[in-house]
Amino acid sequence: MSEPSSTPHSPRPVQRAQVPPANVRLGPNTLVTGELSFKRFLSNEPDALVIGSHCTMDGVHFALGEKGRVQIGNYCYFTNAVLLCELEMRIGNYVVIGWNATIADTDFHPLKPAERIADAIACSPLGQGRPRPEIPKRPVTIEDDVWIGPNATLLKGVRIGTGAFIEAGSLVTRDVPAHARIMGNPAQVIGEVR
Amino acid sequence: MNPDRTLPWDWYPGRIPENVAVDDMAYVETTYSFCFFRSQLPRGVEIGPGASTYLGTMFDVGPHGRVKLGKCALVHGARIICDSEIIIGDYALLSWNVVLMDTYRVSFNVVERRKELERVPTRQPRLAEADVPARPVRIERNVWIGFDSCVLPGVTIGEGSVVGARSVVAEDVPPYAVVAGNPARVIRRLENG
Repeated sequence: MSEPSSTPHSPRPVQRAQVPPANVRLGPNTLVTGELSFKRFLSNEPDALVIGSHCTMDGVHFALGEKGRVQIGNYCYFTNAVLLCELEMRIGNYVVIGWNATIADTDFHPLKPAERIADAIACSPLGQGRPRPEIPKRPVTIEDDVWIGPNATLLKGVRIGTGAFIEAGSLVTRDVPAHARIMGNPAQVIGEVR
Repeated sequence: MNPDRTLPWDWYPGRIPENVAVDDMAYVETTYSFCFFRSQLPRGVEIGPGASTYLGTMFDVGPHGRVKLGKCALVHGARIICDSEIIIGDYALLSWNVVLMDTYRVSFNVVERRKELERVPTRQPRLAEADVPARPVRIERNVWIGFDSCVLPGVTIGEGSVVGARSVVAEDVPPYAVVAGNPARVIRRLENG
């Protein structure tokens, strides 16, 4: 793992390497920083988080549920992104994710009101290990060379095509074609990038 | 500010950089806001009289970046991503998690972007610093920006306007308008005064 780094104005290293859990595999020259990186990492899967080489994961929250699996390629650069994974995320090479962007592969709770009450009870201190109802989850796929702007949100099941450019603040609920430039809530194609 | 450029109330053991001018009547909550400040200009950031910056504000300012906060401007917690110039006018109010960016920091071209991403892990600290065109952002006086909003490169928000929470402002906003949405659109006009 690389040396911690600092700027002239900060006596503490601003990017201090974190010690990852045992089921995390980091490639050479990949740096994971931020006090909260693994605070919500609950996955029991073998190789739950696999990150390739030369990646910079600065202040990223790896919030993986018990069965969550995340795979990240090489030369990715994420700053303060929040990855909420209960199932599966596959992220390619040369992907940039901006400050405070959120990616989720789950709805967190059921849609039907009665099931939501059951879920609230199961999650509560009164739940006593009662199983939670079925919650919609679908894997998220982000292909190579995708750029995701700050404050963007990607919801479950989306596939972002190669080279797509997701403007800051976009809310992405559907698949995005390769090389599309998208923005808005819900995000729509506004152009093409090559 | 103390003579050594630390702040008496600061929880973070940093300093205000030499090329940051903080008015005697301004308030900076923490020097943590300058962790990613690396402007080489003689005045990288100027914080005017009565202006205040609170926790969560980050001056992510590149070597040629310049940021100016006017009189009594209140920046609650903005991420200021600046490689050219970002001006926040007098009496402007910026909420938490606002993003002001005058640059994308990487090229739109995939080949160029890959080259830049190969350089990121060689830098200390690791940052994208590609020489891509930056377009100044101007927040004029008396503007109010709601939480989680983004202001994209090249945008000017006219005097007295209001940006609703979670908006994404991609085009100029006229003076005394209320805009909201993603992308942001004018939803109301305000009377001046």
